[in-house]
Amino acid sequence: MHGRRRQHEREPTADEKAQAQQRVERYCVLSTQVAELKAANTYTVEALSLTKQLLEQNTELHSVWNYRRQIFMHLDSWQDMDARQQALERELAFLLEIITKNIKSYWMWNHRVWALGALPRPEWQRELGLVAKLLALDARNYHGWNYRRFVVAHLRAAREDAGAVDEQEFAFTTEQITRDCANHAAWHNRSKLLPAILAQRGEPQAVLQAETDLILNAIYTDPDDQNAWLYYDWLLDIQTSDTDRVRLLRGKVAAIRELLELEEDGKWPLVELVGAFAELDKLQPGAVTDVEKGEALETLRRLKSIDPLHIGRYTDMLRTLGGRWGSLAT
Amino acid sequence: HVEFIKRLDKKHDELEYWMTEHLRVSGIYWGLVALFLLDKPAALDHQQIVTYILGCQNSDGGFGGHTNHDSHLLYTMSAVQVLLMLGALDQIDTKRVTDYVVGLQRDGMVSGDEWGEQDTRFAFIAVAILSQLGTLEQLDTQGIVDYVRSAMNYDGGFGSGPGGESHAAQVYTCLACLAILGQLHVVDRERLSGWLAERQLKCGGLNGRPQKLEDVCYSWWVLSSLEILGRVHWVDRQKLCGFILSAQDEERGGIADRPGDVPDVYHTCFGMAGLSLAGFKGYALKPVDPVYCMPKDIVERAGLGSWTDKVPESWRE
Repeated sequence: MHGRRRQHEREPTADEKAQAQQRVERYCVLSTQVAELKAANTYTVEALSLTKQLLEQNTELHSVWNYRRQIFMHLDSWQDMDARQQALERELAFLLEIITKNIKSYWMWNHRVWALGALPRPEWQRELGLVAKLLALDARNYHGWNYRRFVVAHLRAAREDAGAVDEQEFAFTTEQITRDCANHAAWHNRSKLLPAILAQRGEPQAVLQAETDLILNAIYTDPDDQNAWLYYDWLLDIQTSDTDRVRLLRGKVAAIRELLELEEDGKWPLVELVGAFAELDKLQPGAVTDVEKGEALETLRRLKSIDPLHIGRYTDMLRTLGGRWGSLAT
Repeated sequence: HVEFIKRLDKKHDELEYWMTEHLRVSGIYWGLVALFLLDKPAALDHQQIVTYILGCQNSDGGFGGHTNHDSHLLYTMSAVQVLLMLGALDQIDTKRVTDYVVGLQRDGMVSGDEWGEQDTRFAFIAVAILSQLGTLEQLDTQGIVDYVRSAMNYDGGFGSGPGGESHAAQVYTCLACLAILGQLHVVDRERLSGWLAERQLKCGGLNGRPQKLEDVCYSWWVLSSLEILGRVHWVDRQKLCGFILSAQDEERGGIADRPGDVPDVYHTCFGMAGLSLAGFKGYALKPVDPVYCMPKDIVERAGLGSWTDKVPESWRE
């Protein structure tokens, strides 16, 4: 349903029509056959094989995935742990084959989760390696990252030292970010790990400083990356003291000024500048000078022409800040 | 577009028709929403649809995507919405469906079916279904709010669960869920509105998360979210309409995910809903409710429009 180009097709030939008709018939026959077996609660090796044929053609048939699982669990061999191990390992291999057909299929990922859970001897480290390879091909893959978190959760539960797993994951995100500092999924994952890392490392302040340096590096590399700014904002948010926040916000203003020297109409530095002044003003009335307030309001006016798509937002911000800062809103 | 939708059930010679059988119930919902918004509700046979939908209910009380397909919350939701729109909700046993939905909640979290996949989409669906059946009090709604909150991220957005990256579709389901439960105050309105507004690309279309492609369906997920937040004006609505209209198929009717692609009923539904929310006047579209994705008049008549009263005071400028 996504990403299929319209083609200006000529009318199909009689031959092509016949072939298409055959494809439809073959699919319907198989689909009906499986449906009948399912309705009759048939749990045989033959039925298993037919579900595989059908699912290879259509990975989205969640009822058939359900049925396939039920067949597995009803076979006599299921009670034999070695046989079960073998069967499920083959199943995992089968899933790996077809996952490339439709990497966004919830049902296939669910089936994999089931298989891992049902394995007598699951190899969680191997799964981690596997999903890392997948993410190397598609770093933003939503299902891949969710699955990775599922695997990591198991590793954490199995290890006595959950902290070590967190550090491993943190290092994984560092690796991803070093390769591509615009990898949002990696930054997101990092945001989930950082609180735990801060709690278990000896000097949280040092960690936060290093983290700030890291994100500033990403921002300098690409000031247009909205996500980097959001992460930076969040880092400021998790500071524990207001004094720290004020100090860091001033640092942020300084960093923004540097960026504006390179490009005076940079949208994100400008938006963030206004945000920084607004935030400073809230934390410490008097922290923002009248000149800076005037600059913030003027910046919002400029942003309306620099980024006309979001005029509505800048108008709202002008009204709010103008209202707060009274007579300066001229 | 009306003709496009009417033709959908006739394509028996196309493999695609049979390969999408498992979501036929949702297909009907998408088609009906588009028709209702176009004010052409009678273009499909209501009685036929109701009979078919009822035939998709299973012994566990839930609905499958087609007859003899396993129950799932996704299709139970579509079934209930279709029956509501067609004024036929009284033809199901409310208790049976309620019990099915309530049975899928464990420790606050809601699974899509008995096989256990958890996702904030399902939390929303459970709440939305029961609100339509009038049995919301049977759900552990605090557990659901806690689960939704655990899916909130540093950018103000929501993911599929704790740890899930922010994604516009998940944002919609979480906001809609919180709206029905009157818990929108837990949202970081400023941050989330900003994040959503940035989904608009220079072409006018909207994407689902940073650096992804624009797609017509995000005209719904993003715009309805902004509407709930009271910030639809933070994007350029005219440009968005231009984008959606350019994704129409002028020959066959229907709307695609982006210009030049093959149209489908899913994108037709969300394209129309997006056009309606964005205030497009060209098709005399009926207003759409941003929480339920159904015509506003139907939602109000069903007594479901009161979520607007529970929006935080400070949000109503």
